[in-house]
Amino acid sequence: MQGGIPMIEVKNVTKKFGRKEVLKGVSFTAEKGQITCLIGINGVGKTTIMQAIMSLIPINSGEIFIDGSKLTKDSYEKITFIPDTITMLPQMRIGDAFTFMADFYQSWNQKRAEELLEFFKLEETERISELSKGNTAKVNILLGLALDVDYLLMDEPFSGIDIFSREEIANVFTSHLIEDRGVIITTHEINDIEHLIDKVVLIDNGIVLKEFHVEEVREKEGKSVIDVMREVYEK
Amino acid sequence: MNVKFNNRDPVYVQVVRYFKEQIAKGFFEPGQEIPSRRELAHRLKINPNTAQRAYKEMEEQGLIFTEGNLPSRITKDEGVLKKVRKELIMEAVETFVHSVRTINVPLEEVLQIVREYYEKADYARGHTHD
Repeated sequence: MQGGIPMIEVKNVTKKFGRKEVLKGVSFTAEKGQITCLIGINGVGKTTIMQAIMSLIPINSGEIFIDGSKLTKDSYEKITFIPDTITMLPQMRIGDAFTFMADFYQSWNQKRAEELLEFFKLEETERISELSKGNTAKVNILLGLALDVDYLLMDEPFSGIDIFSREEIANVFTSHLIEDRGVIITTHEINDIEHLIDKVVLIDNGIVLKEFHVEEVREKEGKSVIDVMREVYEK
Repeated sequence: MNVKFNNRDPVYVQVVRYFKEQIAKGFFEPGQEIPSRRELAHRLKINPNTAQRAYKEMEEQGLIFTEGNLPSRITKDEGVLKKVRKELIMEAVETFVHSVRTINVPLEEVLQIVREYYEKADYARGHTHD
């Protein structure tokens, strides 16, 4: 931990799939209580980083620390990964998914789950297969947010859904439901969330091109996130 | 509360400005309770840390005050309130003067146009104000 601040630290991580080097020494930090956004124009790398943080895939070299310690089985009580598609069976009702999650995770917080359900205006009796794309995305995110974990990793929470659903999901980030947790989200679209995030990590071709706090760049350089992206990617 | 933020100025600065405008317009009264940081973030759809930063800035500028665990309030200090109003006026005047100067319009002519337009604009605004 740097200066005793709780955070996720990714240090010099490399990852090869066969001969293809997907991560070529990736380093960045994501503090608790902040929303860190991993942006990449080319798809490669972002999801792999999240999977590496979760130890879902082995890395070839480098280190990852969560609050100063390496990931162990116990860390799973601290962190969760929300993939870009729902992993529940389509025939389940939302309530069944809640029961499943409660059986599977000690950190399941039923009260928060119900609060989120109300926030998204959904009902426990609704069947997952009958939900719209936007509502499926909301349920998917809800299941992760309802866990009492310190860190949430979200893979493309805004992609492929309608604008109103995107807005509703974005609203969660400004609500009390996110509390003081640390969030890492990947996206290739920054427009909707520019005012919601604390920090940006720009990734391209397996390396970090730039890591910056958005308010700082606005204050010191008068630049928007897109201004910075244009500079960095057009080099 | 409905504010459009631009992407190039720090959001916290824009929030402080929004509060100053509301104070100058009299929408926020001296001593009036203001939303919590979390609530403000939610209403303005901004990052809670940014809302926190804006409140810290406003506290330092004496625009708001917080007693113990009570909700923050708009200052009752007349001096600060007058200063806010003057600051906003000066800012608008500076921008205006700067742009009329670049097109070399004599002051007398400008003042005449301003006087005429001010009345009209005021009238029009009365009908479109939301």
